[in-house]
Amino acid sequence: MSAVTDVANERPTGVAAEPTATAAPAPVRTRRPARLFAISTLSVLFVLAAWYISTDRGWVSPVFLPKPGRVVSEALANLANGQLGKDIWMSTQRVLLGFVLAGVFAIPLGIVMAVWPPAKAAVAPFVSLLRPLPSITWIPLTMLWLGIGEAQKVAIVFMGSWIYILLYTVESTKRVDPLLIRAARSLGANDLDVMLHVILPGALPGIIAGLKVTLAISWSCVLSAEMIAAQNGLGALIWQGKDWGNLALVLVGMLCISIVVLVADKLANMLERLLLPWERHHRT
Amino acid sequence: MTATMSPILAARKVTKTFTNAKEQHVVAVDDLSLDIHEGEFICLLGASGCGKSTILNMFAGFIQPTSGEVLLHGQAIVKVEPRCGMIFQSYALFPWKTVRGNVEFGLRMKGMSRAERRERVADFIAMVNLRGFEDHYPAELSGGMQQRVTIARMLAADPEVLLMDEPFAALDAMTRQVMQEELLRIHQQSGKTIVFITHSIDEALLLSSRLIVMSARPGRIKAVIPNELPVPRHIAVQFSPQYGELKSTVWSLIESEVRRHGAAPDR
Ligand SMILES: Nc1ncnc2c1ncn2[C@@H]1O[C@H](COP(=O)(O)OP(=O)(O)OP(=O)(O)O)[C@@H](O)[C@H]1O
Ligand SMILES: [Mg+2]
Repeated sequence: MSAVTDVANERPTGVAAEPTATAAPAPVRTRRPARLFAISTLSVLFVLAAWYISTDRGWVSPVFLPKPGRVVSEALANLANGQLGKDIWMSTQRVLLGFVLAGVFAIPLGIVMAVWPPAKAAVAPFVSLLRPLPSITWIPLTMLWLGIGEAQKVAIVFMGSWIYILLYTVESTKRVDPLLIRAARSLGANDLDVMLHVILPGALPGIIAGLKVTLAISWSCVLSAEMIAAQNGLGALIWQGKDWGNLALVLVGMLCISIVVLVADKLANMLERLLLPWERHHRT
Repeated sequence: MTATMSPILAARKVTKTFTNAKEQHVVAVDDLSLDIHEGEFICLLGASGCGKSTILNMFAGFIQPTSGEVLLHGQAIVKVEPRCGMIFQSYALFPWKTVRGNVEFGLRMKGMSRAERRERVADFIAMVNLRGFEDHYPAELSGGMQQRVTIARMLAADPEVLLMDEPFAALDAMTRQVMQEELLRIHQQSGKTIVFITHSIDEALLLSSRLIVMSARPGRIKAVIPNELPVPRHIAVQFSPQYGELKSTVWSLIESEVRRHGAAPDR
């Protein structure tokens, strides 16, 4: 035992050495992103400038592309009268409801399919049949069944999302290292323990990655549903802009979609870091 | 004496054949019989690919023999056997659990309370010299540190038989020596049966009560050598003439196998 304490006495230096060793490469890593960020900014500024100059000089007719200033004033006006906020909120609500329902349905189903082949055999034919169908193909049927209210929009989001969540869940559950399952069993784990301590945490990173991809798909579903039949929401806003020949409004709607999806993605990344602490500091 | 005692672990005419991706049959273990008695410290030596890990996997219940049977207390091992704890060649730590979470896993599976677990686990973490790293994830540790976590995880689960697949391979010489002495101490105190795979003859001579040299593929037992070096053993045993003799015996056995197989053990 004396030998153990000897090495233990050396440990503090080892511990101290570790943070400095990992901190050292940081400046090298930040330098490059800083330059890349500058390039991204310049590239955006360049396109904005090209847009401004070409519309200001009349090289491009406002019928095809409004001036940047028009888009900004249109956005401000719609923000001020609350219309834009309401549309964003309506679309977000529909997406979240349909997306959450799809997750609640598809994640457990996917896990069961991955660990129990009969379940997979039962569901697989429907997945193959439904997967090629874009969500808009569900619009006629859902309208017939659910009318043109909220339920129909949510149904479109659900139909467009659940299969992706299912496929990601099945794949990432199947990829869980069988060696870890053996290790758990060898340490006395029963089936439930294996599920809770190995399969679920092992599949979680893949499931979350799938949810992030699917969230953007859910957004495109709600927009197409709203363009076809809705009083409000960003899709309806864009369609109104088109009907009224108000191109600036169309662009405002499109920009809002990009921003909302971007924000949603950032939020999802934060949630991911919170849920997967062990993935946070992978050695590189 | 051992002849009258029934073995704790036994292999009876065990053959294991794998079918690889190209549909070829690989005989990993061929007609192997072996009795291991309670309290023995067995070291398995043999060229890379001769079937050592395969034997251990059968004792742990991870795989079943193609023919013959493996027995624990005279009963066939037909599913994963928690009474035979395994240290994996490739660590197999749970990446989503901290060092503490990994080490306490076995105790948790036994339903031990959180407070009691904490206390027990602290001892094992201290034993493998990882105090201060309790809340680190495996990905944040070096290979040698991860290997020590697997050792602590198995010891904490307290199985009857310890199956160890090159458990010290990734450790530096200094830590390895500490762990070897620690393992000898555990063996002496607990009287646990240990089956230990190693590529180091010195390690095998220091630790084992019996050495088993395997022939190159297909895996068979080439020689069983009782290790009568005095116990309790210390690293200084290496300087005795008895040690030198035993080492050259074992070396000549292994050397002929490596030659016959055409390649040195590669890693
Ligand atoms: N799952 C498997 N599928 C196919 N072949 C396998 C499998 N597992 C092992 N083998 C083969 O069986 C033989 C013995 O493998 P094993 O892992 O037992 O060797 P080993 O003695 O532990 O070698 P090492 O010292 O390199 O760890 C090898 O030829 C290997 O290719
Ligand atoms: Mg091996």
